[in-house]
Amino acid sequence: MKILIAEDDLTSRTMLQAILGKWGYEVIVTCDGAEAYAALQQEDTPQLALLDWEMPVLDGAAVCRKLRTQKRNDPLYLILLTSRGNREDIVLGLEAGADDYITKPYDNHELRARISVGSRVIKLQDELRERDKLQGVLEMAGAVCHELNQPLQSVSAFSELLLMNLGDNDPNLEMLKNIRGGIERLGKLTRKIMNITRYQSKPYLGKSKIIDIEAASRPEER
Amino acid sequence: MNEIMMDGKKILVVDDEKQILDMYSGFFSMKGYGVQTAKSAEEALEILEKEQYWVMFLDLNLPGMSGVDLCRQICRDRPMAICHAVTGYGSLYELHDCRKAGFEDLFIKPAGLRDLLEAAEHAFKKLERWRKGGTM
Repeated sequence: MKILIAEDDLTSRTMLQAILGKWGYEVIVTCDGAEAYAALQQEDTPQLALLDWEMPVLDGAAVCRKLRTQKRNDPLYLILLTSRGNREDIVLGLEAGADDYITKPYDNHELRARISVGSRVIKLQDELRERDKLQGVLEMAGAVCHELNQPLQSVSAFSELLLMNLGDNDPNLEMLKNIRGGIERLGKLTRKIMNITRYQSKPYLGKSKIIDIEAASRPEER
Repeated sequence: MNEIMMDGKKILVVDDEKQILDMYSGFFSMKGYGVQTAKSAEEALEILEKEQYWVMFLDLNLPGMSGVDLCRQICRDRPMAICHAVTGYGSLYELHDCRKAGFEDLFIKPAGLRDLLEAAEHAFKKLERWRKGGTM
């Protein structure tokens, strides 16, 4: 899992980077709020950020405030790090959009535990998001399959009837067999769509994505 | 029940699409079955009040009463009826619901004519066996 840190103090930043690395996190390091904000606009950016409150250009609370005005695809979990420990500051920080708040000097065990909470929340949000997407995909799949399979049933059955009535030497036999082949492929495709069990997309043209039917459907239908 | 054998092998097909009903009629007639069609569950129930059918193919997604509810009602009134579900969108959940409602089997469109014929033949064989065994 990736974590972004924003800390202007070199010593604190180095220590934080080292301990997070030791715990197995991939760390993206920034030195001020503006840099952190810019890094969080990139694709495949970390979903969890540790932001120092006191920083030049943009402070941690201002970063939170700016990020919360955005409509984002990936949910962000923001933890403010600060030496401001009084109740008013905590309220101010949380109201700015932080999800959690750790006062310096912090205990490493507490930091690790709070990061774990953040990871759990992100995982849960991701699962909910995936469930919503899957729900949408399934509803669309149901409608598409139903609408496609109705005419497909007629075409399939009438072509099967024709095939039953054609002699082995009929010049149209090959053409009809090709038509049957196409119908069977379409039938297999709608069955795959009906068996979509998870949300899985793949890149298409440019930045657009399409559902990866092969990967998203149950193995037995692939 | 003997009435069914005297009447010959008749099938009731319910689907809201005319093309599909035409297909069923053409195919099953060609195979020697009598075919009656209905475009809705309500129409099918009206037909069943006047005439006996023991083998049926019901689309699940019908306007008004659904195919599942229709099957439930048919099986309640005629426990020996053999109903087959045909649907454009099928899932394991749907199969479970279909079996619970009393359907013999579930076919996903596009269903092969040979499969449908086999189901009809099997159903009539079963009815014949029940009749001969005196269970009906």
